[in-house]
Amino acid sequence: MKKSSMLKVEGVSVSYGPVRALENISIEVDRREIVALIGANGAGKTTLLKAILGVQKVQSGKVLFLGDDITNSSTDKVANMGLGLIPEGHLVFSTMTVLENLQLGAYHNPQDFNDNLENVFESFPVLRKRIHQTAGTLSGGEQQMLSIARTLMSKPELVMVDELSLGLAPKVVSEIFDILGDLNNKGYTILLAEQNAKKTLEFANRAYVMETGRVVLQGLTQELMSHPEVRRAYLGSNV
Amino acid sequence: MEIFAAQLLNGLSLGSMYVLLVLGFNLMLLVAKIIQFAYPHLVVLSMYVCWGVLRHTDNMLLVVLASVASCIVVNVAIEPIFRLLAKRHGLDINVSFVVSMSMALLITDVMSHLLNYGYPIAFPTEWVGKSIFSSGLIAFSAGQAYALFGGIAAVAAFFYLLYRTRQGRVLRAISENSLLSSIIGIPIIKTRVLSYAIAGLLGGLTAVMFARLLGSASPGLGDFVGMKVVAASILAGLGNLKGGLVCGLLLGIAESMAIGYLAGSWSNAIAFMMMLVIMLIKPEGLFGIEA
Ligand SMILES: Nc1ncnc2c1ncn2[C@@H]1O[C@H](COP(=O)(O)OP(=O)(O)O)[C@@H](O)[C@H]1O
Ligand SMILES: [Mg+2]
Repeated sequence: MKKSSMLKVEGVSVSYGPVRALENISIEVDRREIVALIGANGAGKTTLLKAILGVQKVQSGKVLFLGDDITNSSTDKVANMGLGLIPEGHLVFSTMTVLENLQLGAYHNPQDFNDNLENVFESFPVLRKRIHQTAGTLSGGEQQMLSIARTLMSKPELVMVDELSLGLAPKVVSEIFDILGDLNNKGYTILLAEQNAKKTLEFANRAYVMETGRVVLQGLTQELMSHPEVRRAYLGSNV
Repeated sequence: MEIFAAQLLNGLSLGSMYVLLVLGFNLMLLVAKIIQFAYPHLVVLSMYVCWGVLRHTDNMLLVVLASVASCIVVNVAIEPIFRLLAKRHGLDINVSFVVSMSMALLITDVMSHLLNYGYPIAFPTEWVGKSIFSSGLIAFSAGQAYALFGGIAAVAAFFYLLYRTRQGRVLRAISENSLLSSIIGIPIIKTRVLSYAIAGLLGGLTAVMFARLLGSASPGLGDFVGMKVVAASILAGLGNLKGGLVCGLLLGIAESMAIGYLAGSWSNAIAFMMMLVIMLIKPEGLFGIEA
């Protein structure tokens, strides 16, 4: 059976002024997959996600989403097409309530608001209790949950998460990974960018390993986990 | 005591005009990230439009519509200039401050060379209205009533829009974090243009109420009011809407009290002293900067 490709990045290069951050990157995400981008700090993961979403300008190459060329399209248009990014640092609108954050997430998807809200609360019950609380007063883990929930309110086709685990306690991280697993079972396609390679490789189906703006390795996560280079550089093993 | 009551009423009507302008000014600062120094000048320009239309009709609705429409159109027409500047320099508040200051000079020039031969304009006496209430020294003119109650209604509508509607939520989101807003799919440019339009709407309404309150306008009025709007905004803390509400009213009251109790020309010295003392004690303004 031929798998349907959801996101296709073809030979994309991005520079910040004279500094090249991505060099001829190609990745692909198929429907219902969990794909990981792993690599050290500064490898270019965030830049790639921003380039996909149109926040960062692409110098050459192409980004295709559901068959449409979205290279350098405006971010609100791309988001409206079903691309959701949960940015690094569990960002929320901290002066607004949990409910207002979720309402903002539903900007492009105001119909069925109550049903979507119910679904999101099923995945993140803690948010239901905090619904009228100011988002800035939530714990880091709760803010990350709100950030994911806010993205889900737009019913995205593809959920991209940048540094899910950064700054969160391991227990909270496991909890959020479990929830993302459930979401994947419900049909969501997920692209994760993570420095925390071990947990991510255990969770994802496929992964791309990035170093200084290039993809240096790619494949199924089971295979990558036994790859000597990956074990040495990312899994802290001395084999 | 009677002087106090009279000047308090005066101050509240004048202050509610300052409040409206401070709100419009801060909205553009928060959402579009600009200092629009020429905003009060545009409002004075709308007073000229109001005056011009009044010479042809005394249909109140038409007059209000013309003033409001002109203020919205001009304010929105200016937006691409600031967008271009932001593209070149990033969102640099200093750049927009300098450019809008020269814009203010230009508008003042237009009024002093092209409109009514540079003479002050006077609105019809029935426009300001007789006192609708007087007792001893206290007199409350129809114009003051319009300014005070119209001002209260407009401020209430503004806060309702901002805190109770979908568009208001989006405006607040961009004001808090424009990058995050764009990542979740909010159209940034469209919403910024909306903030210019809302400020234009507030400005147009203020122009009509100001005309009824003052009964006249002159090319220099923009500078005069502009300075106070900026001062009140800084006193409150730039971008702080609720603080702006309080400081706009306080400024109006302080000005009226100075006129009531001292030789009127000293009101500016008082304003300066207040500004100096507050800035020495709280450089971030009374209520804190939120821009
Ligand atoms: N706004 C920026 N301006 C200049 N250089 C940047 C900017 N953002 C990232 N970079 C550079 O681009 C490279 C990739 O960064 P990034 O995409 O953030 O990596 P990662 O997310 O994998 O840690 C790094 O060398 C970083 O220093
Ligand atoms: Mg990163």
